[in-house]
Amino acid sequence: MTPLQQYLALSMALFFIGAWGVLARRNLILVVMCVELMLNAINIALVAFSNYSPTGAGRGEVFVFFVFALAAAEAAIGLAIAIAMYRLKEKLSVDDLDEMKG
Amino acid sequence: MPQFSQIAFLIIGSIIIISALFVVLFKELIYSALSMVGCFLGVAGLFVMLHAELVAAAQVLIYVGAISVLIIFAIMLTSHRTGDLRLFFHRQAWVAAPICAVAAVALIVVMSTADYNATAEAQNPGDEQIASMLFNEYAFPFELVSLALLVAMVGAVLLAKKEENR
Repeated sequence: MTPLQQYLALSMALFFIGAWGVLARRNLILVVMCVELMLNAINIALVAFSNYSPTGAGRGEVFVFFVFALAAAEAAIGLAIAIAMYRLKEKLSVDDLDEMKG
Repeated sequence: MPQFSQIAFLIIGSIIIISALFVVLFKELIYSALSMVGCFLGVAGLFVMLHAELVAAAQVLIYVGAISVLIIFAIMLTSHRTGDLRLFFHRQAWVAAPICAVAAVALIVVMSTADYNATAEAQNPGDEQIASMLFNEYAFPFELVSLALLVAMVGAVLLAKKEENR
């Protein structure tokens, strides 16, 4: 494997560990944490492509900064929802968020 | 020299994968959060190995500094007790695990056999070039992201605020 392929393989492994966490755990805060893991995996892939691309050097790094800002926004909103839900229902399981079920 | 970077990649990669698995598997949320900090630090190490020092510094500042503290605060504000251990994993977890494993293996195989026409040596430019790209070519997305952050901040304040008239 070339170095780029190693970094991409690690990135995919981390991404699917995060995806499993999102699907497997019930706690809302842990789901937010696993989404952060998935975003980190994508950042690894972006920086690796940026480092080994013959033409677009550095562009991946610029996109990583956008991902950072949006990850911070997502964490703030997700944790605010968790705190509002805890205040309303005294529990944090994602199964209890079923008000909008049709 | 390639030997050294190979060994460093193996060590940092196993730190990342093991701490990410612990994030999902720990029962106590606070242990998961601390394990997540370890994972973020490992990712910062990978960024240094990829010659992206500015991104590595931002990773430490934003993820390890800000987001982890935010998550630990949210854990301390919400969970007083561990709760029912039956509620630890969702009942779909044992279906999700093999699906995720198969998808991961498939994507890893595809990505490690594809030909990217990649260069062998590092291409990431210095910090000056990243900064000038960010503020010239990508100035409009940059401003849009700042708008998104502002909206998220107002939304988070509104969501977490106590409602008086209800």
